[in-house]
Amino acid sequence: MGKLPASELLPGTLDLLILRTLATGEMHGYGIAQRLKQVSGEVLQVGESSLYPALQRLLLNDWVKAQWRASENNRRARYYTLTAAGRKQLAAERAEFTRVVGAIEKVLNMA
Amino acid sequence: MSPRTPNSPLRALLRAGRRLLFRWRREKLDRELAEELEFHLALKRQATGDRLSRMQMGNLTMAAEDCRDMWSFLRLERLLQDIRYAARMFRRTPGFTAIAIFSLAVGIGGNAAMFTLVNTLLVRPLPYRQPDRLVRITGVFPRAAVPFFERRNRTIDVAAVSPGSEFNLTGEGEAIRIVGSAVSANAFSVLGAAVARGRNFQSGEDSPGRDGVVILSHSLWSTQFGGDPSVIGRVILLNGMHRQIVGIMPAAFAYPSAQVQAWVPLRLDASNFLEYWGGEFVPLVARLRPGATIAEAHREIQPIIGEFRKTFPYPMSRDWNRDSTAIPLQRDLTGDIRGKLIILLCSVGLVLLIACANVASLLLSRATTRRKEIALRVALGAGRLRIVRQLLTESILLALAGGLLGILIGTGALSIFKSLLPSSTPGLAQASIDWQIAAMVAGLALVTGLAFGIAPALSASQVDLAQSIRTGSQRSTAAFWTRFRGGLIGAEVALTVVLVVSAGLLIKSLYTLSEVHPGFQPQQILTVRISPNASFCTPRQACIALYDRLLEGARQVSGVADAAVASSVPLDAEQPDLAVDVQDHPKSADFPAPMLWSGAVSPDYMNMLRIPLLAGRRITVADGPKSAKVILISASTARHFWPGQNPIGKHIKDASEQDWRTVVGVVGDVRQYSLSKAMPDGIQGAIYMPYAQAVRDDGQIPAAMTLLVKAQTMNDAPARELRSLAQSQNPNVPVGQVQPLEELVAGSIANFRATIRVFISFAAAAILLAAIGIYGLVSYWVSQRTYEIGLRVAIGATRSRIVSMILGQGLRVALYGIVAGLIAALATTRFLASLLYGVGATDPLTFAAVTGLVLAVAISATSVPAWRASRIDPINSLRVD
Repeated sequence: MGKLPASELLPGTLDLLILRTLATGEMHGYGIAQRLKQVSGEVLQVGESSLYPALQRLLLNDWVKAQWRASENNRRARYYTLTAAGRKQLAAERAEFTRVVGAIEKVLNMA
Repeated sequence: MSPRTPNSPLRALLRAGRRLLFRWRREKLDRELAEELEFHLALKRQATGDRLSRMQMGNLTMAAEDCRDMWSFLRLERLLQDIRYAARMFRRTPGFTAIAIFSLAVGIGGNAAMFTLVNTLLVRPLPYRQPDRLVRITGVFPRAAVPFFERRNRTIDVAAVSPGSEFNLTGEGEAIRIVGSAVSANAFSVLGAAVARGRNFQSGEDSPGRDGVVILSHSLWSTQFGGDPSVIGRVILLNGMHRQIVGIMPAAFAYPSAQVQAWVPLRLDASNFLEYWGGEFVPLVARLRPGATIAEAHREIQPIIGEFRKTFPYPMSRDWNRDSTAIPLQRDLTGDIRGKLIILLCSVGLVLLIACANVASLLLSRATTRRKEIALRVALGAGRLRIVRQLLTESILLALAGGLLGILIGTGALSIFKSLLPSSTPGLAQASIDWQIAAMVAGLALVTGLAFGIAPALSASQVDLAQSIRTGSQRSTAAFWTRFRGGLIGAEVALTVVLVVSAGLLIKSLYTLSEVHPGFQPQQILTVRISPNASFCTPRQACIALYDRLLEGARQVSGVADAAVASSVPLDAEQPDLAVDVQDHPKSADFPAPMLWSGAVSPDYMNMLRIPLLAGRRITVADGPKSAKVILISASTARHFWPGQNPIGKHIKDASEQDWRTVVGVVGDVRQYSLSKAMPDGIQGAIYMPYAQAVRDDGQIPAAMTLLVKAQTMNDAPARELRSLAQSQNPNVPVGQVQPLEELVAGSIANFRATIRVFISFAAAAILLAAIGIYGLVSYWVSQRTYEIGLRVAIGATRSRIVSMILGQGLRVALYGIVAGLIAALATTRFLASLLYGVGATDPLTFAAVTGLVLAVAISATSVPAWRASRIDPINSLRVD
């Protein structure tokens, strides 16, 4: 299987993936991209042009909050954490995703 | 499939608010984002070993751009952009912009002024407690009706308020005439108006002996008494009667009219037979009792009037006050001007419609000439909606600018309109453009902006990309919009015709009126009103002597050829009617005492005014107080009572007196009441008594008289001398201003003339706008068809052929408009009938003249572009496209 740019994901999926990644703990933008790449076995490659607008969108919706802190290499970095609303949103999006994937599966498995 | 939280309005609002905040902190956000991306890049370089493709760099720029989009409050930003763009367009075409804004300002300004008037006078509630409960009982009633109504009815509380008559205020410096209204003691409580200072009339203060009180208007209090609060309790002399000032009304109180300066109790004295049952009848106002409706009051009134009619001590016609009913007080107050206001409101509305059609047509042509630019914008990715929005923004901006200028024009127009209406109209002084009207104007501007902007915007957004960019013009879809534009201009011409026909009819009325022979010659005659108290004339001889002295003195004044006195002069707004008994015409319940216009005159009066003697003899000095009583009648009186007979030697008398008076002469009819109407309704003619023998409706000799002199030169000297002569007679006798009789005559139609002036200005604005519209339309045709015209010339069409082609096309639109306008005018001018005099609402001459005028304007507006078309050089025009 080849690489999948974020723009080819189902709509809304990138938000879900970011929220899920942040559920494991505080992280900066680059870290999120790296984590997605790792966990997906290098299948999901999220470019900056999708990642940062998506983060701004999540900020606007109050699903994540951001804080400037010194990073591991001592440079200032913006760290994102999930808010309570974000957690709720993650659960909702996850349920919805499962429902849609299930539906797609049913179609694919038809006799 | 997005599982996002549902977009509740509150959430959307919060988000919008946050976006605004974000926008505000934009610089900080930009810095932070740059730092974040820089950090990202640094880590990435570390990971990949400093090898970054150009594409990856591009990704970063796009990320920043997308983030910025997320922050900005997009709609607002685009709107500002549209406005900036529109302003730039306007700067580039100042002529177009000025014409458009000015036409809108004229339309909007006129409407703002008219709406202000309508709002103040017809819509805004009266400034009294629960004004919707106030009613007027139409008709007028003797004083006896007030207690009668109060006893019999169950639905209303009734008060009487007389329309106001002149009072002498003496003993406070120079004696002056003021306007006072006699009211029943409960009048102010029925109206629900409180005094500003002092107290209201108390019940019982309308009974004889207790009625020596007066309430002043705010204006009289401040001008005559210096606004001194201590005047309450002071005793003043009104018509020679001592009255104590008990209260002062607030400045805004203006009932029954703004001219009333004082209110006195209307004496209700059943023992004074003449005053109680005769004398001046008064109007009744009433307040509905709680729970009662106007319909219930209405049902009750006629039966009560029926009963009351039977209680009269003298026979009353069975038709007396047959149609009296209860109407809302506000409608009663605005009755006379309502029609005029509505006519003016409609016509100013037409002007606005014309202005809108004009601007729409201008914008349409501009939209067409801007096709290339718009096509370019579409090619660069602007959506159709975005283009429509841009063009609508432009038109709304135009309309708002027009509205702003319109408020300025409206303020000016309002003061002109106010001068049209009788200044006694309650509430007129308070009419001014306020924030409500300003808000309405803004709304009007927005609506008109949308209305005239939508068609051009739609037309412009239908561009065929490839063709427009290639040629800059468009020939296929434009056809519909060109026809649409022709229709707009046609409609504009039609509306103009309606307005100009109306103005034409009014001008013809004014001309007819000014040509009316009033039945007398006002030239070179000076008048001055002299008004002693009625008590001054008991005994009668005192007044006879006063006026004899005045006549004698006036004849001595240098430059005076002749002098006379009269109880009223034509067109001076007095209404001296008298109930009379006429020989051969016995009164009955069906034919009550006829009313006649009665004058008391000195012997030289008829001669001086050149009122012709038609039969018999004139009044002479021999007709003194002790000789046989004689009377002159007017031609219409003779015709009405003794048709085909010789009236000389017949008899007439005042209904309340014993002795008959002998008719000794018949004189010509005079326009006493107004130039358009010789006599008010219900008055059959005039009678003239020698002053020495005269009576008024109260049985007294007329006290207030007008002194008339024939001046050899109309300079100030005789006028000054005349006034000082009159003032020297008695310090307690008020003397009015000296006024030429010609001025009185002109003044009687001043309101009418002013109305016509406004109408003419509307019509002129309409014609101007229509001319601009036609000119714009034809110029546009010519510019669109330069190529075709060039081709025609190239293959041999002559210049005159081109001119007639263009003229023909412009005139076709104008003719459609004129025909439609004439039909519309035929249907609508009858609403003007109440303003017209001596001309039919469908006067063919006026219609023909207006057709000619509008046609001439259309031809001249078309001929300029037609001439320009004929100058088109085929070589150049064929090269253009």
